[in-house]
Amino acid sequence: MTNQEKLVQSFVESLGIKPEQVVDDLKYQSIEEWDSVGHMALVAELEANFDIMLDTDDIIDMSSVAIAKTILQKYEVSFA
Amino acid sequence: MLLAGKTALITGASRGIGRAIAHVFAKQGATLFLTARSEQLFEVKEELEAQGAKVFAQQCDITDEASVKDMIKACRKELKPLDILVNNAGIMKAGLVGMTSMGDVRDMLDVNVTSAINITQYAVRLMARAESASIIHITSIAGMQGIEGVSAYAASKLAIVGYMRASAKELAPRNIRVNSIAPGFIDTDMTRSMDDEWFQKRVESVRMGRIGKPEDIANCALFLASDLSNYVTGQIIGVDGGMIA
Repeated sequence: MTNQEKLVQSFVESLGIKPEQVVDDLKYQSIEEWDSVGHMALVAELEANFDIMLDTDDIIDMSSVAIAKTILQKYEVSFA
Repeated sequence: MLLAGKTALITGASRGIGRAIAHVFAKQGATLFLTARSEQLFEVKEELEAQGAKVFAQQCDITDEASVKDMIKACRKELKPLDILVNNAGIMKAGLVGMTSMGDVRDMLDVNVTSAINITQYAVRLMARAESASIIHITSIAGMQGIEGVSAYAASKLAIVGYMRASAKELAPRNIRVNSIAPGFIDTDMTRSMDDEWFQKRVESVRMGRIGKPEDIANCALFLASDLSNYVTGQIIGVDGGMIA
């Protein structure tokens, strides 16, 4: 599984949304499912799938799919 | 068994109250992840394993972010998901008002408040997949009622009560319960380290006429960790034998 696929899977499983909804422009609190509760579930899913521990500041900053990718790159997760 | 199939992370598990909680939880079927600064931690692990419990242990300085991250990462690997967190690790440094060093104040706030909050923030992420979860903060009668000679310690212990109450409200919709236990005068290395006069005065203030045992606290923690308390959140339970602080 590629990192992009892992990322999409993390959003799908934690937020209960469709894979096609996981696009770079998708923003925190722009859909009902990505609220503060969903955000913590998403963080847990990303950490488990990529075997990382995110800093709290990064969790606060993770406001879109695009930014999530940028943040994950700090943890040596690369996206083609 | 009240905790069969449950997983628990216990801080400060190498001795005293933490060690007693580990024993009670293991006896009730929980899989444990124990942490403490001291190597004594591994003695506790061996004791529990000899009794058939499934136990993981990792030394951790909870005031050190890198050490906490390593510990949480290991915990996530072994316990999926995390059902119970017991924030037990704490320190007490005595000092009269006007004679308490700011270094001691900062140390107590760092261990008793900041580190407990930090570990809770990580733990709720490990609880994301749990059907229900329980967080237990070990506070103190000193925080609830005040005890002379340990005012800064009392401040640190009441601070975590504020955090407990607010986080209980926030986490209730996720079915994560958050509660505190306020031990009275309990027979631990921490209380035994106080001077004899102070110690005797405290014992005399307990209406039940005896110092508490760590197991007294552990049994209350068992209630809060188990489904017996599944409609209890945001509460402080005093376990103090009727102590007059």
